[in-house]
Amino acid sequence: MLRGGPPGARNAPSLEQINAEVFTLTYGSIVRQLISDFEDIEEVNKQLEQMGYNMGIRLVDEFLAKAKITRCSSFKDTAEVVAKQALPMFLNVSANVANWSPDQTECSLILTDNPLADFVELPEEHRDLKYCNVLAGVVRGALEMVNMEVECRWVGDMLKGDDCYELRVKLKEHRDEKFPYKDDD
Amino acid sequence: MNARQTAKHSLNIVDRPLTKNRAEVPTVSLSAFAYLFSEYIQYLVDRANSISELEDRLERVGFEVGLRVLELLSYRDKALRRKTDVLDILRFIHGPAWQYLFGKTADDLQQAANADDEYYIRDYDLLISRYISVPRSYEAFNPGTLAAGMMRGMLDSAGFPARVTAHYMAHKDRPRPITTFMIKLEPSVLARQAQMEAARKG
Amino acid sequence: MAVYSLYVINKSGGLIYNRDFAEAARVDTNDSLRLASIWHSLHAIASQLSPVPGCTGIELLEADTFNLHCFQTLTGTKFLLVVDPHASFIPALLLRIYELYSDFVMKNPFYETEQVIKCELFDEAVEALVRRYLQQAQA
Repeated sequence: MLRGGPPGARNAPSLEQINAEVFTLTYGSIVRQLISDFEDIEEVNKQLEQMGYNMGIRLVDEFLAKAKITRCSSFKDTAEVVAKQALPMFLNVSANVANWSPDQTECSLILTDNPLADFVELPEEHRDLKYCNVLAGVVRGALEMVNMEVECRWVGDMLKGDDCYELRVKLKEHRDEKFPYKDDD
Repeated sequence: MNARQTAKHSLNIVDRPLTKNRAEVPTVSLSAFAYLFSEYIQYLVDRANSISELEDRLERVGFEVGLRVLELLSYRDKALRRKTDVLDILRFIHGPAWQYLFGKTADDLQQAANADDEYYIRDYDLLISRYISVPRSYEAFNPGTLAAGMMRGMLDSAGFPARVTAHYMAHKDRPRPITTFMIKLEPSVLARQAQMEAARKG
Repeated sequence: MAVYSLYVINKSGGLIYNRDFAEAARVDTNDSLRLASIWHSLHAIASQLSPVPGCTGIELLEADTFNLHCFQTLTGTKFLLVVDPHASFIPALLLRIYELYSDFVMKNPFYETEQVIKCELFDEAVEALVRRYLQQAQA
């Protein structure tokens, strides 16, 4: 059994591990299959995001159960939790939160280490491929499950020569819990 | 870009040294793999027209991983000489390859009683299938098919073309069904094996 | 010391899982569906009625012959355990069940979110967990 754990993250629980290269290679193989299934790169990007969303809506329960997170009071707190607890717990990488908009509804998650894209080289004919788009979907799906509607888009991609992976996360709506009985307006 | 990052990106994946200490193998949570695997299976279930097609497509993903894994392992550890004998490659898959992929060696390696082109490798608790409960309606489906594809990829890459299929089987000492991989080598492999034996004797 | 039943309610108030651990606990299917939707509404009303701000709903219902513990996740799913009034450490047990749910239900490609849970591995894990809990409780 492989043991490992998130580097530097103090409170993240240690989950059972798998060889990161098996994860990376399997993801790469899946992306290649999608390209052959869809041919149109924009469709592939959409598909990756959708797959990520479906994963995100499921992984949130594990995170909440095992990291024993209590309710986040703000989007700012939530972003920090994603960057400093969730990403380390699942991917053994840490991210930074930066570039906050003045009204605190938009920020960037910045990664320099990304197991999805380890050692990947993007060929010229697929230069519009958002290789890590699954991660954008994961964040969107996960936050939706805790009543935050967000939009995620990549503004930095190391596979395209940028010096980091930067995911811009914009809060659209913070929905309060709906009750079955509403007061008559 | 900091120095470490530059170094990583200018390194080709095969140049990464094979770590002596197993504990240094970079890892991600099994959960991350499980969600990706689960989602991809769902993606295929939506698109495949039959369980057979579902398995074929999953196997294909595994096959491509297997091809690369064998190249990686062979390149990194020059001590792993090229295998020319069937038992050597199967022991490699049962041992070092399984250890690399799943963190432990496989449990059994056995030749079929009445077929010299058929072998079985068994894993009592296949890591990638750990969280998957296959319902009755999908009884013929085995998620271990991904691993079967990896095995076929490794065998193919090493020059031992074969068909590999994954099956659940009850095991008297185990509370849950185990995964048995059936490896059916192609006739060309046996022919070559026979030639080698003849050459050794002659 | 007994654990009678486990109920899991999705965020719309639908019963998605029910497991009884004792013959005495068995409840008619229609009754268990009704239990789930009534509890879902009661839970929501209670958090609105509460004089304390930030109330997240009913956690414990105490009756003569049983206690009903409720754990609501931040994703809106509720885990209910009906137990003997003397049972202890039930909140911890509920949290363990939540972990098993995250492993054997959420990672199952054949499980459709918000639908009825039909995952053999989840059933087995929950059975084993409750059995271990009861054994430790006897000790």
